[in-house]
Amino acid sequence: MLDTFEILTTSGVVLWSRTYVPVGANIINSLIRDVFIEERIIPQQEDAGYHPTYRKEGYTLKWTQAKDLGLIFVAVYQSLVHLTWIDKLLDNVRALFTGLYGEQLNSNRSNSSTLDTQKFNPYFDRQIQDLEGTSDESLNVKLTPPSSSGNDSAEESAPTLPVLQKPQRPLYDTSADSTPVPTPDTSRPTTPAPSHLLTGKAKPGAKLSRRDRKKAAGFGSAPASSGDEASVKRKGKSSTKKNRTWGEFGAEEEDPSVVLDYSQADLKGDAPEAEALEEIKQETWGRKTGKGQFVLKDLDEEMDAIIAEQNAKKESSAPSSGLVGSSLGAIGGLFRNVVGGKTLTKEDLAKSLRGMEDHLLKKNVAREAAVRLCESVERDLTGLKTSSFTTVESTIRTSMEKALTKILTPTSSLDLLREIQTVNASGRPYVLSIVGVNGVGKSTNLSKIAFFLLQNHHRVLIAAADTFRSGAVEQLGVHVRNLKELSHREGGEVDIFQKGYGKDAANIAADAVQYAAKNNFNVVLIDTAGRRHNDQRLMSSLEKFAKLAKPDKILMVGEALVGTDSVAQARNFNASFGPGRGLDGFVISKCDTVGDMVGTLVSMVHATGIPVVFLGTGQHYADLRGLNVGTVTRLLMS
Amino acid sequence: MAWHDEDSWLTAAFAPKLSTIAITLLLVMLLPIALHQFIYRVQTPTALPTFLLIGPSGSGKTAFLTLAERRAAAQTHTSTAPLSIEALLPDGYVPNSAHYRSPGDPAYERARRLLLLDTPGHGKLRHFATAQLVNPTHVRGIIFVVDAASVADEAGLDETAEYLHDMLLALQKRYTGAKTSKGPKEIPVLIAANKLDLFTALPPHLVKISLEKAISEVRKSRAKGVKDSGVAMGGEEDAVDEENEWLGEGGEGAFEFRQMEEVGTSVAVQGGNVLGGEGSDVKSWWEWVAEQL
Ligand SMILES: Nc1nc2c(ncn2[C@@H]2O[C@H](COP(=O)(O)OP(=O)(O)OP(=O)(O)O)[C@@H](O)[C@H]2O)c(=O)[nH]1
Ligand SMILES: [Mg+2]
Repeated sequence: MLDTFEILTTSGVVLWSRTYVPVGANIINSLIRDVFIEERIIPQQEDAGYHPTYRKEGYTLKWTQAKDLGLIFVAVYQSLVHLTWIDKLLDNVRALFTGLYGEQLNSNRSNSSTLDTQKFNPYFDRQIQDLEGTSDESLNVKLTPPSSSGNDSAEESAPTLPVLQKPQRPLYDTSADSTPVPTPDTSRPTTPAPSHLLTGKAKPGAKLSRRDRKKAAGFGSAPASSGDEASVKRKGKSSTKKNRTWGEFGAEEEDPSVVLDYSQADLKGDAPEAEALEEIKQETWGRKTGKGQFVLKDLDEEMDAIIAEQNAKKESSAPSSGLVGSSLGAIGGLFRNVVGGKTLTKEDLAKSLRGMEDHLLKKNVAREAAVRLCESVERDLTGLKTSSFTTVESTIRTSMEKALTKILTPTSSLDLLREIQTVNASGRPYVLSIVGVNGVGKSTNLSKIAFFLLQNHHRVLIAAADTFRSGAVEQLGVHVRNLKELSHREGGEVDIFQKGYGKDAANIAADAVQYAAKNNFNVVLIDTAGRRHNDQRLMSSLEKFAKLAKPDKILMVGEALVGTDSVAQARNFNASFGPGRGLDGFVISKCDTVGDMVGTLVSMVHATGIPVVFLGTGQHYADLRGLNVGTVTRLLMS
Repeated sequence: MAWHDEDSWLTAAFAPKLSTIAITLLLVMLLPIALHQFIYRVQTPTALPTFLLIGPSGSGKTAFLTLAERRAAAQTHTSTAPLSIEALLPDGYVPNSAHYRSPGDPAYERARRLLLLDTPGHGKLRHFATAQLVNPTHVRGIIFVVDAASVADEAGLDETAEYLHDMLLALQKRYTGAKTSKGPKEIPVLIAANKLDLFTALPPHLVKISLEKAISEVRKSRAKGVKDSGVAMGGEEDAVDEENEWLGEGGEGAFEFRQMEEVGTSVAVQGGNVLGGEGSDVKSWWEWVAEQL
């Protein structure tokens, strides 16, 4: 069953919500963070009415958006229950809400966040009833229309539908085993937990329930008919809703009156509260009583009209057919393209986006990353109206700039010096290690980092854990000698830790850390052997390395020159340290040699979601820089 | 017909004719009304004083904004887009500029109106806020919302201090980089220590002290940190001047918010809570806002 449904704006204000079971705010917050902001989880495309899902802490979230209004519709339910009608609900609620409040939202968008959505409650309730009804009826032997919104509210003291609670006469109890695990059978859309229903039933009156239970037993456990939702959906609402009954095999019987009468008689003879119950039932569902019927029918019709209208609008925004229509449309489209005020569709964006993709590829962005960025822009823009006097192209440009800024900006700040301080405060040396493929400048950049740390008066131990390539240890020795000379003036102290060639790198690293702790070094920098990211054997040794050396930070050096390969490099290295450990950042070397073709940065961040910590910008020890997102974005867009 | 003729319009205008009197009367009565209409139409909608809401994610900016707008905080989630709303200074607070006016006076009522601009606090979305700081035309003040419970632990404190440091540095650069000798309009900052209803929350004076301490650290490590790639990558020429990157007074001493006054930014720290068991308490914030109006 649905736990919570929320309609919120992109600016974070909840406009309307319905809570059946309270769900922590952090659940939806992490959806926003992971999917909309950090884009760590790329939702599958919305196709054929299926909305993307997101899972968190046992909850499943499904959502949809109304881009032009800046609205997000989120449904939250327990992952254990299997609800098939959520997609439909999201669609309908979106159509209804935008239909009812779209204009209001558009007009008072400036300087107001309020919207009186009280009126929306009955619409939503009806939607729930209809959808849940159709799916439930397909498997329940029920005389009254089911409404598990009622179930829920009874069960969880969130009495949003006090009226609807009463006609609940659930029949699940015959199968009163307690686990609410849904059957894999997709034809059983809702499988409400029996235990829930038992508690829920206690409210309307124990007597009634007992009798009900007996009746239920009489019917036997409901044979789950193949619930083809779509076929039962909304059809013949007025008659089937209330008066539907089920034949032996769970088939629908057409004659409405018979069973109704039966149940009525039965109820009336029972208790006065049953009578009240019947009355409420009549009012809620009644097609016979004057007033209630009128209101409800009205709501239904209105709802259908709104949904139909919204759907029609969507369709009409698709290119119109016909010779005259199309050419006129084309001219109008061109005009609006220049002047603005055009609602963007995928087709409008496609051409310009392809241009944008080519542009990014020219900037050395890996194809995969370029495609993802373009998709992100497409997601951002489809359904949006261009503002006046802006072309599609410039709209895409702005959106792409935003996307690039977003992808490159680290989520939290990267202050190496403070991290070192914190770690040292806990009484152990800070361990940083560097990995990467051959020849990208691992040792050079390690020395640059060492130089930077020496300038800040740290005592640095450099561990030569490249025991593989001949000459590697000597090369590092030269660096250390240079650094020693330089650091004399600066005031730091540096030394090398080496055990020659052929030994196991992980052990050397671990020894180095121990040595550092004993000899009062507060930072250990570990150089590792370069390895091809697709070299299984060498890559697998990294896991042991991470386990033994326990680096506080693992940086990967990548060349700015590398092209498409960057994505695979970043991915493989990120995955090579075993579960629970990944890279912490990138050092992009040789940035001075590529001019404005700085696409590698984007590719690597795209592949892993890990930030760029340093840029190598030259031959000198001092040529180490932090990332300036603004500059890189500008270079990429130029 | 010359102007000095008997029946020229000039003569008529000075003659004691009924029509002349009527026209004059009408003019006298309508002109002020028209003028009033014109002036107020032109002036009011654009120039509302704006208060920026800045702060790390989850500190309660959007919650405060909804509280200001509807007198009751709405449910909120992480923001991904900025939001501006028009709010009214609640009853009982007197805008500084309208001290000598009486409530009910239209000018008084007008002085109570203000805009609140909420910005997303997520690390990746702070460019919305920084863009506002570059060109704060109508910004009358900045409300930096802090979750007083989260600054009790190191990680939360560091994040908050870094954001605050960057914001104050932007304000300082704007002040020192101004071309005119007069210097730009001052923008005061309120550090709103929110969520005081939680028992883990630090009291406002401790929030102030720990933020000052943390900013000193940030300032120090920023100065030592690697330089920005801007220049090396062939970006703009605005070479990062070491001097300009140091927040507050030079010298190695500790940072204090007082130091910001020299660069046209007064910083106040006030506690409050937008939500909470006994309702909201944001009186001191409104007092601060009233002071700036
Ligand atoms: N206990 C308590 N909770 C609060 C208070 N103010 C806000 N909150 C809660 O803090 C959470 C975050 O508040 P928001 O206003 O959405 O945070 P924000 O600053 O807008 O965050 P971003 O939009 O991500 O930048 C919400 O769940 C609020 O209910 C308060 O005074 N006390
Ligand atoms: Mg917010």
